[in-house]
Amino acid sequence: MSGGLVAKLKEPLRQRADFSEVLAGSWAALSARELSDRPVHLERDGDARLGDLFALDGQAQGRIRFVGELDQADRLGAGLIEGEVVVEGGVGREAGLAQAGGRIDIGGDAGPRAGAAPLGFKRGMTGGELIVRGSAGAEAGAAMRRGLLIILHTAADRAGLGMIAGTVVVFGPVGTDAGLWSKRGSVVALGRITPPPTYSYACTFQPVHLRLLLTRLRDSYGLPVRPRHLNGFYRRYSGDMAELGKGEILAWTAK
Amino acid sequence: MKIRGVFIEDTFAEAFTMRVARIVITARSYRWVRAAALKLTGFATSVIGCKVEAGIERELPAKDTPDGRPGISILLMTMGKDDLPKRLIERVGQTVLTCPTTACYDGLPDAPDRVGVGSALRFFGDGFQVSKVLAGQRFWRIPVMEGEFLVQEKFGMLKGVGGGNFLILARSADAALEAAEAAADSMAGRPGIILPFPGGVVRSGSKVGSRRIKSMIASTNDAFCPTLRAVTATALPEGVNSVLEIVVNGVDANSIASGMKAGIDAACRDGVVAISAGNYGGKLGPHHFYLRKIMSGAAE
Repeated sequence: MSGGLVAKLKEPLRQRADFSEVLAGSWAALSARELSDRPVHLERDGDARLGDLFALDGQAQGRIRFVGELDQADRLGAGLIEGEVVVEGGVGREAGLAQAGGRIDIGGDAGPRAGAAPLGFKRGMTGGELIVRGSAGAEAGAAMRRGLLIILHTAADRAGLGMIAGTVVVFGPVGTDAGLWSKRGSVVALGRITPPPTYSYACTFQPVHLRLLLTRLRDSYGLPVRPRHLNGFYRRYSGDMAELGKGEILAWTAK
Repeated sequence: MKIRGVFIEDTFAEAFTMRVARIVITARSYRWVRAAALKLTGFATSVIGCKVEAGIERELPAKDTPDGRPGISILLMTMGKDDLPKRLIERVGQTVLTCPTTACYDGLPDAPDRVGVGSALRFFGDGFQVSKVLAGQRFWRIPVMEGEFLVQEKFGMLKGVGGGNFLILARSADAALEAAEAAADSMAGRPGIILPFPGGVVRSGSKVGSRRIKSMIASTNDAFCPTLRAVTATALPEGVNSVLEIVVNGVDANSIASGMKAGIDAACRDGVVAISAGNYGGKLGPHHFYLRKIMSGAAE
């Protein structure tokens, strides 16, 4: 794969911007010119094109890298089905909203509801991988159906809220009510977590699938997986017992 | 052609197209990964009586396995493509699922033909099983009393080659065994091949059919039995009192030819009179491994 397309922010965003249509559907084979025509909705100024805000350079060929301060960029990577999206800094709300495939790698923090379902919809991520190398706001991975959400620092409250399936891995502390109302799916906490009262402790064990997952995250993405994560023990909590009870929280423990 | 005084007969080994899967087993320690691998590859010498031919390909260091634990790769082969999934499900289900700490992965990720293994074994979980998709591959977590058994949903299937072979014709049983051991040792651990017989060596080479019983698929290869020299059309040179065979299966013809070359070279030692090979006149198997071509560096 080539270096891909580089989208460099021309001027700092001074208002919230909705990127939900920029990478939705097929985009990986588009030219820079075609991508620059994709719409962005600005909170005050209304409709704009991606090319109005960013200088696009290179050939996408399945990869795009966003450069610039994007804390006000909402829904970046929403509906993604293919390709690799790299963001050098942080992003606003709802990054990877209802992502269905591909990979989003966010270098900084993500706002609330990363990888979640659009409000009023039943399903969040249905595939792909969303990596947040900073912290994630509330309700990350809410209503996930499939896919993998990685948060390297803190996950705010209600991570994995109402998950249907899929996996959320949090390297740092996890806020309250993680996995609340989940049907299936896994919240993996390598840092501190207090499971909701509707989760029941099952056992402390060494899940082999986590070794497989964490080994891949370390080797493929350079994530800071430590030997204690690979060789350690995890407390398994089943829940949410107010729902199907087929979900789980796997909480790393020093035993 | 002679190698260190051992005559290389101008003949060929005749081999067949088979279907092959590569299974990677991991476990907490080599003790348990070997335990599972030995059970899985047990009673799998010949499709004639075992329905499947299997063997350990090589031990894998932890850094080379999917989950970073000690591992072993195994090749499992059948004659028909419909047989392979059945045999995989039987054997993985009975010997790996049951073995403490093991997990089981596909070792042919690029093979376009995929057969369901975990997708069948998951039902052992009785509805408590959980699937996880990682890098586009689905894995099944099957709850067991020890914890969980992890198995990949689908395994790759390739067309491989079975029945590569050579015969060690020696002056004594001791010399034949010593040469066969050296050959098997030199072939063990080579990627892409297995030696499915005990210790990699066969003492009971067979011919097609039987002189007396029509329903028998195979019977003793009397032409190479020293005790029958006086009563059958023998193929043994003078001075040969014991013969052992090395059978080699592999993922492709080149791997087999490479393995045969190493094995024959190791077998050419004191006490060995000649190296020959088993074939059926070239009419049954599409792969012909000419001994002299192999030893002179040419492939199949």
